[in-house]
Amino acid sequence: MAVSPLVAPTSDAFKPSRPISSPFKRQTSAVPSSNGNGTPRYPPAARSAPGDGAAMTLDPIEQLNEDEKRKYVKGKKLGEGTYANVYLGHVRHDPSTLVAIKKIKVQQQYQDGMAPDAVRELKYLRELQHPNIISLLSVFSSKDQNLNLVLEYLPLGDLEMLIRDVDRVRYGAGDIKAWMGMLTRAVWFCHDNFVLHRDIKPNNLLIAADGEVKLADFGLARSFADPGRRMTANVITRWYRPPELLFGARHYGGAVDIWSVGMVFAELIIRAPFLAGNTEVEQIALICKQIGTPTEDNWPGVTQLREYTVPSEVVPVWGKEAYMGRFGAVGADGVDLLVRTVALDPKKRITAREMLEHRWWRTDPKPTRKEDLPRKSGGEEKMGADLKRRNGILDDETNNRGAKVARKLDFGQAK
Amino acid sequence: MAAEDARYRQTSQYQMWSFSPTQLAAMRENTNAAARTRIAERLASLPAASNTTSAPTSSVNTPDPEGASISALPEFLSAPEEAQLMNFYTLELLRAGDHAEMPDEIKATAAAFFRRFYVTNSIMTYPPQEMLIVALFFACKAEGSFISITEFGKQFGKDNPEDILAGEFLLCQGLRFAIDVKHPFRALRGAVMELSTLPDIERNRLVAAEHRAREILRFSALMTDAYFHYTPSQIMLAALSLADRGVAERLITQTFHYVAPPFTSNNNSGSETPATSGPDAPSSNTKRNAAPRSSNNSGEDKSQIIGSHIRDKVLGTIEACRDLLSKELPERREHWTNKTVIKAQITPLRKKLTKCRDPDRWNLVELQRVRREQATKKGGGSDDGEPDDRTLESDAAVFGEALPVPPKRRKVGATDGGGGPGEGKGDPFGGPL
Ligand SMILES: Nc1ncnc2c1ncn2[C@@H]1O[C@H](COP(=O)(O)OP(=O)(O)OP(=O)(O)O)[C@@H](O)[C@H]1O
Ligand SMILES: [Mg+2]
Repeated sequence: MAVSPLVAPTSDAFKPSRPISSPFKRQTSAVPSSNGNGTPRYPPAARSAPGDGAAMTLDPIEQLNEDEKRKYVKGKKLGEGTYANVYLGHVRHDPSTLVAIKKIKVQQQYQDGMAPDAVRELKYLRELQHPNIISLLSVFSSKDQNLNLVLEYLPLGDLEMLIRDVDRVRYGAGDIKAWMGMLTRAVWFCHDNFVLHRDIKPNNLLIAADGEVKLADFGLARSFADPGRRMTANVITRWYRPPELLFGARHYGGAVDIWSVGMVFAELIIRAPFLAGNTEVEQIALICKQIGTPTEDNWPGVTQLREYTVPSEVVPVWGKEAYMGRFGAVGADGVDLLVRTVALDPKKRITAREMLEHRWWRTDPKPTRKEDLPRKSGGEEKMGADLKRRNGILDDETNNRGAKVARKLDFGQAK
Repeated sequence: MAAEDARYRQTSQYQMWSFSPTQLAAMRENTNAAARTRIAERLASLPAASNTTSAPTSSVNTPDPEGASISALPEFLSAPEEAQLMNFYTLELLRAGDHAEMPDEIKATAAAFFRRFYVTNSIMTYPPQEMLIVALFFACKAEGSFISITEFGKQFGKDNPEDILAGEFLLCQGLRFAIDVKHPFRALRGAVMELSTLPDIERNRLVAAEHRAREILRFSALMTDAYFHYTPSQIMLAALSLADRGVAERLITQTFHYVAPPFTSNNNSGSETPATSGPDAPSSNTKRNAAPRSSNNSGEDKSQIIGSHIRDKVLGTIEACRDLLSKELPERREHWTNKTVIKAQITPLRKKLTKCRDPDRWNLVELQRVRREQATKKGGGSDDGEPDDRTLESDAAVFGEALPVPPKRRKVGATDGGGGPGEGKGDPFGGPL
């Protein structure tokens, strides 16, 4: 088709026939909406902003947005991420119900409208409802068309804080089992809904007041329903990134998240990142050294991946026994599960569903009840921030994710 | 089907964007009526000078008890007229998507966005010719393709990115920020795979049926209100049935011969959530137990769903969906682009539209500029304070519908058996979406 069908022959006749005047001059008299039963009806006139001089007319969608916005009161700033500021908030008519309001920053570098992180987070959080996935309670836009995501408030920090606070936070195998169980269920649910998270790490596992772990930050998520489509390999924070992505695979599945889950598992046990490479090359080298060198023998086809390069000295894949010394705290069954999550060949890696069926969950010790799980110690807010800086992984990606990774994501797929 | 159904009820598509035909018609009537009122007011308040096209000039000396502004009002589009234009513009959207060689999913998402937006917004208020481009652009993003706006615009001869971006947020708001659209394409793929394992279905016949069904999904399902009324698997089955009734019936028979596996105890989640076999953490079931339907999700339902009365109900729904789709069979593409038809049916409506559009909303770029200006004035610069309190007095009571806990609307279609084991391998309704 050569000519854009949108250059319709008639279109010239449809230029605005008169100058557009200010939308703010009068109030409307009827705004359609629908009540709780889905039956549309007319509420009374929308009122204008008090003390505003010119009255502001609101259309139905604007009115709905105003109402949604007014349900919440925004308080102090809780933290700042790459693409959003997060504020404490509460429900206006019930101040004891706290929420977190994630306000998407207007990104200077991203010129193409609503930022990819925001679009993804909005899309997936709206659809995924599960006890171990952070709940999206509402969405509204504030002035200047900033997107605000109202999230459930998760006051007890994140898993990274607990892992790092070696001096003050102590935990054992039952606690790890509980945390891992919640993480695995969250990942299973994502995958069962054909969603890849693509940024699983302790810092994105937030903790609710009752100790429940919630997978958060869906800014890199995507659906993998369509196996034929190419995806970017440039996802997942490096320490948690699986070998297939480090080798530039463009077709992948849930196994990428499972590797990250394995890395979190290992980190929970040794209380330090298991494979903390400073560069991608170093990351690959660490994998080869600690897990084994990916070869055609243990991973048919791996040498065909675009960026496959490994250190010349080939390390055979370590067996379970090799992990017992360092990771034995979770017992032989736990180590068995760990080893399965870090299978080099993604086809051989355990799935989330299989993880949930693993015998480790049912062997002693029992997973700790969430109410009894260790919590972050006092005064941790500052510490959390410090740790974050110290631990400040990946300048190139985490700090500038929106600009660098996201823009590369599936660019041009639409064509 | 049961598993899909339980899942489908969690989607924003079901919770926010599924309506019965009656509901949908009522909403459109209301949208149309409200737009007329607003536009009438806005037009009436325009300075007389800019109103000359339609303002009478002879009333200067003759006092008119009805008021001059009333007689100056244009003729508005009726709701059925809007509906007809809506179809015309939906096809424009599909053609634009073809022109840019977009994948089916993106075009379909864009079409769904577009039609959803105009359920609560009149095409007299916001310009459909522009909003359809916005819908295509945002659909790319929603489907994970983050194309640059400049490149995107070029394909449609739009050199100024603002022309498209100005409508993006508006569209999102109109969608109530629910931007995930569930399509029947995957269900069709699954169904065909299922059918291809059956010995009694001829290969060529299946290929032809799939091809035709896909054409119907790419056109008929998008040109009608099918997405508002039916689940993806119902739409798929209806399309397949239109393509080859025998094949579709074979699939349905196959489904209802499916024998439920022995049921595990442990409430409802035993099969849906393997979590129950995982750690015994108390959380594993809380959400599902809290869900309104969970108590029904047990073996009882499963036995019902394979029962014949359910099958009949399903068949009825699919028949209804089939009727709907058959109103816009793929051949109708020619109809909507036929010059004579356009001239006789569409052009008059578009001419009418030029006279009755909303003077305050039609120009998206200008609208956004004014909104932003207003925002900076109100917010006093920083957007992060808490000036929100100074905006409107609450009309909250008037609007029951919030994103978080949307009201359960009517059940979509007939498949209310709900929530059986998710492992139905013989289930052509596609397992989970
Ligand atoms: N639901 C929540 N409840 C409580 N605090 C939260 C919540 N969500 C985020 N926060 C706080 O806000 C901070 C910023 O969150 P956000 O998810 O935007 O960024 P991040 O994950 O820290 O960084 P990045 O965007 O680079 O991944 C978090 O570090 C956390 O302290
Ligand atoms: Mg984060």
